Amino acid sequence: MTITATSPGTDGPGVDQQWAVETHGLVKRFGDNVAVNGVELLVPRGCAFGYLGPNGAGKTTLIRVLLGLTRADAGTMSLLGYPVPKQRDDALARVGAIVDEPRFHGHLTGRQNLQILAAARERAARDRIAPALERVGLQHRANDKVSKYSMGMRQRLGVAACLLGDPQLLILDEPMNGLDPAGMREMRDMILSLVAEGRTVVLSSHLLDEVERTCDAVAIVDRGNVIRQGSIAELLAGASVELQIECSEPDRARGILDATRLGAEVAVGPNGLEAKLPLGTGREAIAEVNRQLVEAGISVYRLQEVQASLESWFLQVTSRLGGSE
Amino acid sequence: MTTTPIAPPDGTSVVTAAPTDHRGSWLPTLSLITTRMMELRRRRGLMIALLVVNIGIPATFLIVRLVAHAVAPRSYGPAGGYSVFTGLVAVILYVFGFIVAAVVGCSAGSTDLTDGMFRHLVVTGRSRVALYLARIPAGLAVVLPIVAAGFILVCAVCVFAAPTKDSYSGVTLPAGLTLSGFEQWAAAHPDEVLCNFGYSGNAAISMPSNCTGPGGSVQIKGSSPPTAAALRASAIVFAQQDYQSYSNTFLKPANSLMIATGLWLLLEATIGFVVGLGLSSLLGQRTIAVVLMIVLEIILTPIFSRSRIPHLINFQRGFVGLAMAHIEPPALPLVFGGDMNGGRPRGLQLVPESTEVAIIVIVAWLVFWTVIGGWRMVTRDA
Repeated sequence: MTITATSPGTDGPGVDQQWAVETHGLVKRFGDNVAVNGVELLVPRGCAFGYLGPNGAGKTTLIRVLLGLTRADAGTMSLLGYPVPKQRDDALARVGAIVDEPRFHGHLTGRQNLQILAAARERAARDRIAPALERVGLQHRANDKVSKYSMGMRQRLGVAACLLGDPQLLILDEPMNGLDPAGMREMRDMILSLVAEGRTVVLSSHLLDEVERTCDAVAIVDRGNVIRQGSIAELLAGASVELQIECSEPDRARGILDATRLGAEVAVGPNGLEAKLPLGTGREAIAEVNRQLVEAGISVYRLQEVQASLESWFLQVTSRLGGSE
Repeated sequence: MTTTPIAPPDGTSVVTAAPTDHRGSWLPTLSLITTRMMELRRRRGLMIALLVVNIGIPATFLIVRLVAHAVAPRSYGPAGGYSVFTGLVAVILYVFGFIVAAVVGCSAGSTDLTDGMFRHLVVTGRSRVALYLARIPAGLAVVLPIVAAGFILVCAVCVFAAPTKDSYSGVTLPAGLTLSGFEQWAAAHPDEVLCNFGYSGNAAISMPSNCTGPGGSVQIKGSSPPTAAALRASAIVFAQQDYQSYSNTFLKPANSLMIATGLWLLLEATIGFVVGLGLSSLLGQRTIAVVLMIVLEIILTPIFSRSRIPHLINFQRGFVGLAMAHIEPPALPLVFGGDMNGGRPRGLQLVPESTEVAIIVIVAWLVFWTVIGGWRMVTRDA
């Protein structure tokens, strides 16, 4: 293994580092399968950060490596400015995490499970049990056995467990799983409130709509590689442009646009002409489409740019649509 | 779900400085130990098994004997006494106590993995060694008091409900006689002694006409009915030979024997728990570990303790069951088929081992399984 430690902040580790999570060239192999392949990840402090990828992309493996649940084969990483694994204990003192589905001792109550976890943390963690249960809305079921909890309640208990350490960084793996719509909204609000308190939340999820509503920045992982990362606004600005065009002669308009050098993919749909312009196309191209059609004598009744969603952009850049990335 | 923050959302960050609680230390904290105790105590099925084997079975056995003796004292002997004590210790408390302690150890060693709590605990940053070591005092704090309670119950009944007269070779006689007292009593009861006591000496003896004598190569004097004096002399000869065996039978267990036996049982339960803990931590699951522990206790240990296998004698000496048998209080019967009246029957001999080696083997087993369990805990992917 060729792990080397990154340097902590000069004014004390874990305090002034810009990045809550920082990895360089991180590799994790399972036999011949490379689950994490040279990942370069930078998660800024104080934001909600989405970590997205299709099933089997290596999301959970990266989280497990970051938390020291499994060893990396190569690369460097740090959490809250503490190099891991060299200062893993110090780093995890202020990290809360749910990895995979949250599971607990079923024969114990929710409160007793938290007591066990609080005992593994600092003394003050015991005083945080009641507030944490109240915050996730489990105070009335805290004395019920976990075996009687629903999946959603176990998710909430998992978040309560994360809060015991008064974390600067929360790493939540699919926290919306098992939650009903109201629960998802409450979870989203809670994540936002945690960020508002100055904490960093790294959120792994396949619910792209929820991530778009919750997170400030995202990283897309595919086949063990981080293929894009940045703020959602920046990333969507680089997505392909989709136009819906309502015009007098759709078939002729399609031929005209196919013949241009804009590189548009054009199709005639139920709502008229649908044109998809390549990644990185500027707004001037939209005006050019309109000009070409008008000059050809085609009446343009409506020309609308369709706002790219995180979902459509995600599908464009991941291997689901051909894996060209 | 509410979204009330732990601290008031006054717009400032609630994040505090990192704690300095030495969570990288391998020493477990008291709160870690007490919560592990709570986790074990709340396992209802496990606790019931522990209570039934260590307290329930001996208690039921003793209650039945107490009731039977109270109802029909001529048919059923007293509930307590030395022989009941040794029998319960050797069969129930030793063997089943070990197995139940091992089951508790196997549960403690695998429960976090099977319940999915291991990952939560590792993410706290607490030393994995400390997480492992916390289970040892926690588990022993659960197991040993129950073993001790069962043993104290047995001791109490065996002392307070002990027979008032001794029974030796089927003859009721006073307990605690000196050699001369034993000879005098034999001279006064020659028929009972000569017809019931064993004898394997070379002296020619006289036998009453109404019994056949000890058999074997013993010489019987004359063919005519012996005189009373000859019978008394023969009874004294019997008594002299049997005194050693008689002096090892007691109405009730001695205090020193009970203390030594109690400590021996606690050590046995400790070994069962620690080995079970380490084995299940190594395997990552409970069932196979429990099966292996049972095989170790009731199959491998008796075989390797009694059969001398050429070229494997030192391997046999490494078995903890053999080492425990060697430090067993001498007044107890050998476990696994020993004489329930105490003493060591001929032909039932252990593979030889010095006490020093036995102690080293026991310590080595405790250390080895603790190290191997802790090592697996540290190296395991969570």
